[in-house]
Amino acid sequence: MHPASWVGWVLAVMVAALATTNPFYLAVILLAVVLVAVLAPREGPGVISFRALAVFGVVMFALSLGIAAINGSYGDHILFTIPGPEVPRWLGGLRLGGPVSAEGLAGAAIRGLAILCILFAYGVFNGAVSPHRVLRSTPAALFQASLVVTVGLTLLPSSVEDLRRVREMRALRGAPGGWRELPALVVPAIVGGLERSLRLAEAMEARGYGASPPLALAPRLAAAASAPLLIAAAWLWFYETGWRPLAALLAFAAAALLWWWWRAASRARAVSRFDREPLPAAERAGLLVAAASALGLLALRLTGRGALTYNPFAGLPLPGFEPLPALLAAALAWPAVLLIARPAPARGAAERDSRLAAEPAP
Amino acid sequence: MSPLAVLEGVTYAYPGSPRPALEGVSLAIEPGSLVLAAGPSASGKSTLLRLFNGLVPQFHGGRISGSARVAGLDPFAAPARRMALEVGMVFQEPEAQTIAETVQEEIVFGMEQQGIAPAEMRRRLERLLAELGIEHLRRRRLSTLSGGERQRVAIAAVLALEPRLLVLDEPTSQLDGDGAEAVIGALEGLRRRGDLAIIVAEHRLERLLPRADAVIAVEAGRAALLPPGEAAAVLRSVPPAVELARRLGLRPLPLALAAAAAALRGRDLAAAPRPLPAPGAELLRADGLTVRYGAAEALRGVTVTLREGEVVALVGPNGSGKSTLFRALAGLVQPAAGAVRFGGAPAPRGPRERTARAGLVPQDPALALYQESVAAELAETLRHRGLPRGRAEIEAAAQAWTIDGLLDRDPRDLSVGQQQRVAIAAMLAHGPRTWLMDEPTRGMDGPAKAWLAARLREHAAAGGAAIVATHDIEAAAQFATRVIGLRAGEIAFDLPAARAFAADGPLPTQVAQLVPGAVTLEEVAIPCAA
Repeated sequence: MHPASWVGWVLAVMVAALATTNPFYLAVILLAVVLVAVLAPREGPGVISFRALAVFGVVMFALSLGIAAINGSYGDHILFTIPGPEVPRWLGGLRLGGPVSAEGLAGAAIRGLAILCILFAYGVFNGAVSPHRVLRSTPAALFQASLVVTVGLTLLPSSVEDLRRVREMRALRGAPGGWRELPALVVPAIVGGLERSLRLAEAMEARGYGASPPLALAPRLAAAASAPLLIAAAWLWFYETGWRPLAALLAFAAAALLWWWWRAASRARAVSRFDREPLPAAERAGLLVAAASALGLLALRLTGRGALTYNPFAGLPLPGFEPLPALLAAALAWPAVLLIARPAPARGAAERDSRLAAEPAP
Repeated sequence: MSPLAVLEGVTYAYPGSPRPALEGVSLAIEPGSLVLAAGPSASGKSTLLRLFNGLVPQFHGGRISGSARVAGLDPFAAPARRMALEVGMVFQEPEAQTIAETVQEEIVFGMEQQGIAPAEMRRRLERLLAELGIEHLRRRRLSTLSGGERQRVAIAAVLALEPRLLVLDEPTSQLDGDGAEAVIGALEGLRRRGDLAIIVAEHRLERLLPRADAVIAVEAGRAALLPPGEAAAVLRSVPPAVELARRLGLRPLPLALAAAAAALRGRDLAAAPRPLPAPGAELLRADGLTVRYGAAEALRGVTVTLREGEVVALVGPNGSGKSTLFRALAGLVQPAAGAVRFGGAPAPRGPRERTARAGLVPQDPALALYQESVAAELAETLRHRGLPRGRAEIEAAAQAWTIDGLLDRDPRDLSVGQQQRVAIAAMLAHGPRTWLMDEPTRGMDGPAKAWLAARLREHAAAGGAAIVATHDIEAAAQFATRVIGLRAGEIAFDLPAARAFAADGPLPTQVAQLVPGAVTLEEVAIPCAA
């Protein structure tokens, strides 16, 4: 799949998971993510392995439940009581131990589910697309930012390797190891990493892609002005309901300014692409599904329909369940359809080879 | 023809440095010429090379005077993106100059940034892959390439912008022998390519000196552009064949081995082989060592002995098991079969205990320096070994390594060559009888190699012993008493130095090919008349 498709999917999962607090819909989203995770290709080692992210997500989930328990909770359905010290009132109502309610645990579990969805989705993205591929299909306007990230990622493995070698050299000098050794390990690795990044910066400067000429003042001002406009628009929309037309106007103006900056930034650096990865029609459709799913759930949440919000503290009622939001959540599994229909070729190598051969030699 | 690059009266000092790194440099580079920049480490070679594309002063800052003109541009003021089209630069470290994921992407990346049309990119890509002999690597990930392969990719990537000047700053200093040969071979191929001028800073002069059109001799911030024959007479370090001709007072100086052999024909030079210390008691013995990494066998039944007074040069291509042998001897890996014995008794198990008696200096030991002074580095090793570490002991250790002038300096402020010496001294400050050194000559210039050879000989004369892995035959001939060749994890040969380095041996030195019976220059009896 194209990097853009993966980015679109991760964003859609993020919006959807944050749009709802209904455990049923969250469970559907999680199932969709897991289904994609099972089918997604693993393109070489990602920066952080999927397994590490998944473990991190599960630990976060358990931790959020644990904190809810220790912190005690309000609610009518008390499951059990943890003995804890009486914390003085002037500490701001902090509680340690005390009764643990089913409502508190449910609330924590719902928050944990949303985090789990996002972490898993990011893990799939991270494993499926190498950062270098993302850099290559980054729009020119964001080139500088993504170059910085990619360079950081390039240097990370060598710093880890430095750390390993320094540790070995310490042992060869007879150092005993242990925590007191930490500065002796970390200082050389960090100094080495800094020196290496300076040398890389120099090499990039010499090759002419260190920095592009700064953008003209007007588009930079436009980009800076769009942020306060957007904040003002949001404030008017939510708190001054009578001013909503003006809010919409402001949001539109901010979007226009951003678009102008984007075009100027894209043109400031004339780049060409050697072999641009095309976005197939099926994936365009997939991106539409992602947008529909995320925007649909967001719209339902803003208009208060579809039982998207759920408050366990209102007496632990059964969450609602309606077909439309469930369908929108399930639609987030669309990459699975693409992945089943076309088992991912290894890094698109065969495909690109044929493209190279198709062109007549100069 | 008007020159491609001209420097006039350039004086430059790095920011915060009171002393100029370059002083009054004036020279002109002709289009299509191959120019060799030679001189000891820290003489100002790297700084000089960075003038040509404006990294000095634009990237590094500092004070500069004088003027420069390169391909019609002023490198001190032209934007880097514009200079990159005229001047391509390749650096020492293969890992710190590439950013793409695969070979093809790396070569194409610079062209994409300059907005070159895809059809033109394809044409240049195909030609460069063929020219540099890296066609087969096209789709490989850069992280899986060897250093020599990566350097050739880096050269292809800068040539993709079709510069008129290619500048290389010691492109082989971080490479093993095979990688260095491949890179120098690629440079020789590029020499016959249109009007591309090449400036290359190198310590390995054997192959490039006879082929260069001119030499920039750099010494303590001063630089002069000379014809190769004149440069060979004034450079501090030259290949042994040239040095021999120099000592004999031959004019004109032969630059290549074949020319030296022709010039020496008819002269009867006598050889006076260096007396070697007689080997004493056995210090170290490895019996049938076999080491496996997963399914691969890195060592297969290797048996090595080391006696007092012996300095063994360990040679062999990359991946032949040299580093693995050291790791097994030092206890960093456990062998699948075989055993290590120290002085007749089984060696202790852990690396800390083993290196107390057989100190191992790994590659790039300067990485581990972290104290604020050289004295503190030495004291730290003594502390870990449970030895007294008063000022007297530290000074004694420093004197043994001839770094007593550096004791109060911060290791990070030292030159690369000084750092290497301090790091080796720090790894061996506790005075083990056996030294194990993995590629200590990598990146060393002539004086540094002479320093290392002197330390090894002193150590052997005092009853110590050493195993030194190296790719540098000429350097090894200065200190080795015995040579062990490894190939694919097995011992290919184990010979006394005089036979290994002889003209009909596996690793003939230049001197051995000129003067039968001698291996190094000092073994040639120079007639007094000369």
